[in-house]
Parts: sequence; structure tokens; C-alpha cells
Amino acid sequence: MAKVTDMVLWDKPGEKVLLLGNQAIARGALEANIAVYAAYPGTPSSELTDTMAMVAEKAGVYMEYSTNEKVAFETALAAAWSGLRAMTAMKHVGLNVAADTFMSAVGMGVEGGFVIMVADDPSMWSSQNEQDTRVYAKFANVPVLEPSSPHEAKEMTKYAFELSEKFKHMVILRTTTRISHARGDIELGELPEEIKQAKRKFGDFKKDSSRFVDVPSNARRFHPQILEKIEKIREELAECPFNWIEGKEDAKVGIIAPGLSYAYVKEALAWLGVEDVKVLKLGTPFPVPFKLVERFMDGLERVLIVEELEPVVEEQIKTWAFDKKLSIEIKGKEIVPRIYEMTTRRAVEAIAKFLGLEMPINYEELDEKYEKVKAMVPPRPPSLCPACPHRNSFYAIKKATKGKAIYPSDIGCYTLGLLPPLNAVDTTVAMGGSIGIAHGLSIAQNGAINESQRNEEKKVIVATIGDSTFYHTGLPALANAIYNRSNVLIVVLDNFVTAMTGDQPNPSTGQTPHGMGKQIPIEEVAKAMGADYVAVVDPYDIKKTYETIKEALEVEGVSVVVSRRICALHKIGEMRKKKEKWPIYYVNEEKCTGCRVCINTYGCPAIYWNEEKKVAQVNPTMCWGCGGCAQVCPFGAFETEGGEQ
Amino acid sequence: MREYNIVITGVGGQGVLTASNILGWAALRAGHKVRLGEVHGMSQRFGSVISYVRFGEDVYGAMVPEGKADVLMSFEPVEALRYINYLKKGGMVVVNTSPIPPVQVSMGKATYPSIEEIKKVVEEDFKAKWIGFNAEKLALEAGHVVTTNTVLIGALTQVPEFPLGEDHVREVIRISVPPKAVDMNMKAFDLGIKAAKEILGL
Ligand code: SF4
Ligand code: SF4
Repeated sequence: MAKVTDMVLWDKPGEKVLLLGNQAIARGALEANIAVYAAYPGTPSSELTDTMAMVAEKAGVYMEYSTNEKVAFETALAAAWSGLRAMTAMKHVGLNVAADTFMSAVGMGVEGGFVIMVADDPSMWSSQNEQDTRVYAKFANVPVLEPSSPHEAKEMTKYAFELSEKFKHMVILRTTTRISHARGDIELGELPEEIKQAKRKFGDFKKDSSRFVDVPSNARRFHPQILEKIEKIREELAECPFNWIEGKEDAKVGIIAPGLSYAYVKEALAWLGVEDVKVLKLGTPFPVPFKLVERFMDGLERVLIVEELEPVVEEQIKTWAFDKKLSIEIKGKEIVPRIYEMTTRRAVEAIAKFLGLEMPINYEELDEKYEKVKAMVPPRPPSLCPACPHRNSFYAIKKATKGKAIYPSDIGCYTLGLLPPLNAVDTTVAMGGSIGIAHGLSIAQNGAINESQRNEEKKVIVATIGDSTFYHTGLPALANAIYNRSNVLIVVLDNFVTAMTGDQPNPSTGQTPHGMGKQIPIEEVAKAMGADYVAVVDPYDIKKTYETIKEALEVEGVSVVVSRRICALHKIGEMRKKKEKWPIYYVNEEKCTGCRVCINTYGCPAIYWNEEKKVAQVNPTMCWGCGGCAQVCPFGAFETEGGEQ
Repeated sequence: MREYNIVITGVGGQGVLTASNILGWAALRAGHKVRLGEVHGMSQRFGSVISYVRFGEDVYGAMVPEGKADVLMSFEPVEALRYINYLKKGGMVVVNTSPIPPVQVSMGKATYPSIEEIKKVVEEDFKAKWIGFNAEKLALEAGHVVTTNTVLIGALTQVPEFPLGEDHVREVIRISVPPKAVDMNMKAFDLGIKAAKEILGL
């Protein structure tokens, strides 16, 4: 098994490797001779960005971890304006952040190919909503390519650059979790000479204010041009190599399967043993190539559209069929669920229903049996890691506020502070939202500190936000809170990395894929903005952290406490690589009174309860040696001599 | 072979992804079409995890449908139960019997079923075969708890009609672990094979 970096850079056309969908896309971008890549990480898109970071220097590509999706979008867009092939990637909700630039820039077009990879997360495995990027694309009039396998994701990436360049229009490559996070056999293609020689490519921006300045007079001209381009692209896509018709030519029944749904439909048909159908495999859900659809519909009496999430293809085809006065029965969301991800089971269920067939597995019976089992299985939600500094910050916050404050929080590992026993997260909306919500709650309940009328009964508000999120969209919210004089405490949980998405660097880290950038300390920013109180603490010192938070709560106005300690998972990873040891804690059973304070208020996942002995115990394979338990236990039962890992 | 489906479960951080990757590579080298489906992001943080390994001629999606897994391999007993609905009738469960109690259990808010209860559900309600043993103990015997992975994979190769050759899988493990850890992993692999053979009466 070769290293991913090696495989992505391998000059071995025709070789088959096993890559993650996201890594395959990175390879596709290299095969397409990409020059500039900029993105902010977000599950399920992150590994594409990480792979680009790993290969950038070796392939002569400029790569950056931008502070948010809008900035990343603008960086890549400007490169495409300069004639270079450029790419940005984000998760579905990231497109909301970039949306302002995205919607406005469509009409300006591009010079070099510009591909926006957006990874949707149906069923919300790691997301705050379930939005379908294809709806956005249709709204903005940007074509979307949607792969049905990891290998196709790579091939489509190359095609996306070509399509974009041909029409001088941006293109979206849309994946879902099950493409981005699926591994499949990938056949490597040719790498361009410039990538092989690691030659950095530079662009040339040609000024044209009638094109790159979005004043109303230009914008008015753009809109009809955009619509015209989309129709031309629709024509082109009838011949797109990722769209095809297969199955029985003279069948009366047809199935249309966009993107990954094609994979599920193929499996479902084989499983059901259905052969008497025609299938339209659609890699381009917007704009739907009607010419191809017309060819497909020829001779059909009934059609089922099996599509994940929103009826994007369905609405286009139904409108088209209505205008054409086609008398074909077209079904979609009446049968296929509109929420959560598509599965083979769902495809089988939909097709069986549509064709009046019996299910190959008695799922009712299986579900019933499983219901009974579920009652036996204790929940195991994700949790903050052992030794995670956030646990200590939350613990100190809860103690200092006696659990009586309101706790707005943000998007990151620390959202897990929501779970028992910490229960220290009351709201989470979107990136950077904690500070804005905290400000709003303070204004609504207490009033601004410069208002003439204020509420006597003061509510305490403590917001938590991570370092990466702080730089993502926390900054404008902080300026707003300070300027408008609310009374909140903001604890910035600074662990130097964007932990949840896989340890990517950010301005607090200072590191970039091209070497050291410039580190920006959060406390300096808070001071410069005029926060009323600023302090830095080490959360591994729980007592000091608690005292500082108490002090900050006394101050009227916006207080910022930076709680700083490197991410435990990141640290342990580094230590493992260097073969360094760390202390393993254990419970002295003589001293443990069985009070369960460590479990019921602190909750390190390495600590568990021994029902027979009625004492707490530490799972030595999970302890990462932070010593937090020793600070929390009122009886000093946690000790460390002995075990080392 | 049309398709062979393996579902691997456990607790985040136990090596579920590594195991599925090793099996995926073994299948690729054997000339199969391969799909692996895995979890990333938030769910990896000490929560329950599931990953899918599929290979054969006719695999497309990365997820194994419920009721279609030939084998369910679990790094933790209760996690086997959590995903038992993926197993096909008469399938196999290969499980490490050393438990990791979830926080809710430690807090006294939920109970953890006994191994006997779990085994009973697998054998009686789901009519599946149970290959359960303490893989963690065998891993420690081999040299380090991280080889629990390899122990379980060793046991997996003994499942009747398992389509990938024992030596074939062994070879992939050999080239995917650091050179210094090869001997330890080979020992772990053998211990897994031995444990499974004993249980299966081979
Ligand atoms: S990854 Fe880092 S930040 Fe996230 S829970 Fe683990 S230690 Fe904490
Ligand atoms: S020292 Fe204590 S709190 Fe820290 S990881 Fe180990 S058991 Fe958990």
C-alpha cells in the first residue's frame, strides 16, 4: 500500500489504485494541470483540500487554506480570471458563505477553467442542515456535474475544467458524502509535463472594466448572456461522455438516475432481477440535456426518476414534458423519499413499488426484529477526546457560572460540549454564529451597556468559539458586539488547528502548505478591536481558568478569554510519530469513594465505572495523560506513577 | 462472484478504517472491483463507527444494504449489536469481546448488555454464527494493543468461503505496517487465525 501522496502524484498511467473520492478529485485536478487551489475545510470536502496541500509543492501548484469559503472562492476566481486553471472546494453550507461572490461573479465568466467542488451531506452525518447544491446551481445558472463513482469523480474533474474553459463559465462539481468518502478502484491517467516538473504557472490578468466591474449597467447585460450560455451548454451536454442511455432499447419503462443514484439503481435492478427497462444515466443534473432526454423517452410509457434529495432533475423534465405535451407517466418524489440519503434499499423499494414487484428481503420483519435489539444497545455519541482542552474550558465555564448562564456555541469539535455531562452548549447555528447570537441575546435580555433603559435582572451569556471559526466569520461579529456595546463573555477555544475536519492550519497556527506564514494571535486582535477585557489562559490549569473566567464575568462589556492549548488528538499524533511517551493515569481504588464526580461532571471518555468494585477506572489504552481528572477528583484518587504508553 | 459484503464496526479510534483499507487493497490486488464506504468528521471522535467493504463484479454503491452483509466484524461487542441489521440471514459475526462502556453507561443512564445476551440475539434472533473472542488480549500477547486490528482480520480469513486468500491478506498487512511492526503483526494475524479455528472447530 503506497502512501496517498505518492499515489496521487504517480506517473503511472493505467495503474489501478484505491483512493478516496476526494483524493481521486485531487488527482483529476492534477491531470487537468491545475495552477491555483484555495479552500476552507468542511466535512465531507476536506480530504480534497488536504490532498492538494500535501502535493502542492511537489506539483508546482499554489495552494492555500483560506480563512473562509468566500475568500477562497475569490482567490481561485481571480486566478481563473488571470487565465489559470483554478479550483475551490467547500461543503454545501460553505457555499452559503461564498454565495455573495458566487452569484455575482457568474456573469463575468472566466478565462482559465474554474471548478467549484461542493460536497453535499445527505442525512447530515456531519452537518447542520441538508441542502442540495444542485438547487443553488440552478438558481445561479451554473452547470453541475455529478459523479456516480470515485473513478468518475476524477474523470469528471478533468472534463469540468474543459467545459468551463470552452464556455468561459464556472462549473460546479457536486459530490455527496458517499462519493467523497467512498474508496474505489481508480485508474490513473496521464499527468501534464508542468505538473511532473513541479513548474509553478503564472497568469496574466487582462483589464476589462466592462466585464470585471459589476455595476448595474454591466450586470444588466450579463443576465441575458448567462441564460444564453446555459442553453448552449445544455446542447453540448447531450453529447457529454458522462450521460448515456443503457438497458433494453424497446422497453416501455424507463428509469432516470442522476449522479450516485445511478449506482443504487444498477444494484437495485440486479437485485430485483429486472431487465425489461431502459436507464438514463445522468451526470449533468443541471442543465438537463433535453435532446438526450427526448431520445430516451422515445417509445416509453412510464418513467421513474430516482434522485437523492430535491426534485431538481424531476422538475426540469416534468416542465419540459408538459410543454411538449408528452403523454408519458413521470413519477419521482411521489415514490422516492425527498429527505436523507439514497440507499440501495431505498432504490429497491422505489423501483419495486413502481413496477409492482415484491421486495427481495422482508424488510418489515427485519426492522421489527431490529427495533427490539435497539432497545438493548446503549447510545454511543461522539465525544470530546481524552485530554481535550475544550473539556476543561467547558468545565471551568460551567463552574464559574454555576451552570446558570446561556451558552451560545459554534461549529467545531467543541459543539460536542452539548453532550452530558458537560451540557455547555445551548445554541449552534452556523460558522461564527456564536458571537452574533450572544450579542443578540444580550441586547434582547439585558440591553446594550450604553442604553438609557436596561434590564435590572441581568442574564449571563458565555459564548464559545474555536480559533479557526473565529477567523472564519467570528471577526465581523466580534467587531459588531464591541461596537454596539453588548455585555458578553467570549471564550475563544484556541487549539491551533481546525480540529474537526482533520487538523488543518489557520491564522492561529501560522503554518501554510508552502512553509511558515504569519501567525496572528487572537488576543492581539481582540485588544486592537477594543474588547473591554482580554486574557489568555491554559485550560490544562483548570483552577486558573476558572478564576480568570470569574474575573472576566465581573467586567461590563465584551470580554474575551483566549483558552489556549494544542488539540490533544493532534498532539498525540505527533508524539506517536516521534515515539514519545506520555503518563497514564489510574485510579487508586483505596482513595476512590465512588462519588462519580469525574464521570458525572467532567466525562473524559477514558474514565469508566466499574460496577463490581464501585470505583471509577481508567482505560489505559485511551488515556492521553493530561491530568485533568486529577484536578477534578475531590479525593485525589487519580495517580500516575507506573504506566506509560 | 457478484458481490461480497463486509461491515466493520467499532468505536472511533479503534482502527476500523485501517482494517477496511487493508481488506480493500487485498481485494483490489485480487482483481476485484472495490468500494469502501467510511465515516469521517465528527462521528470519528470516540463515537460509534461503521465502515463498509464491498468487492466483486457487480458493486456500485459504497454502502452495504441492510440484510446483505456476509460478515459483520466488530471491534467492540455492543457495536456488533448496533449494526446487526446489516447482516444477512446465516451470516457471520466476528467480534472482539472486550467492551468499551459508553459514557452514558458510566453515568448510570443506560445499561450495557452482557456478552451472553449479545451472543443470544446474534445466534437466535438473527440466526448468525458467532466468532467471539478477546482479540485485545491476543493483540497484547502479540506485542501491542494496536494489533487488535490484525488479530480480527486473521480471524476473518477463516470464515467459511471467505473469498480472499489468507496469504494474500497477510501480504497486504506486511506491506502496509511499518517495517519494525511486521513480526508483531504476523504474530497477531496467526493468533487471530488460531482463535477462529478453535471456535469453528477446524
Ligand atoms: S480533536 Fe482535538 S479539539 Fe477535537 S475533541 Fe479531540 S482533542 Fe478536542
Ligand atoms: S489523565 Fe485523566 S482526564 Fe486526562 S486523558 Fe487520562 S483519564 Fe482522561
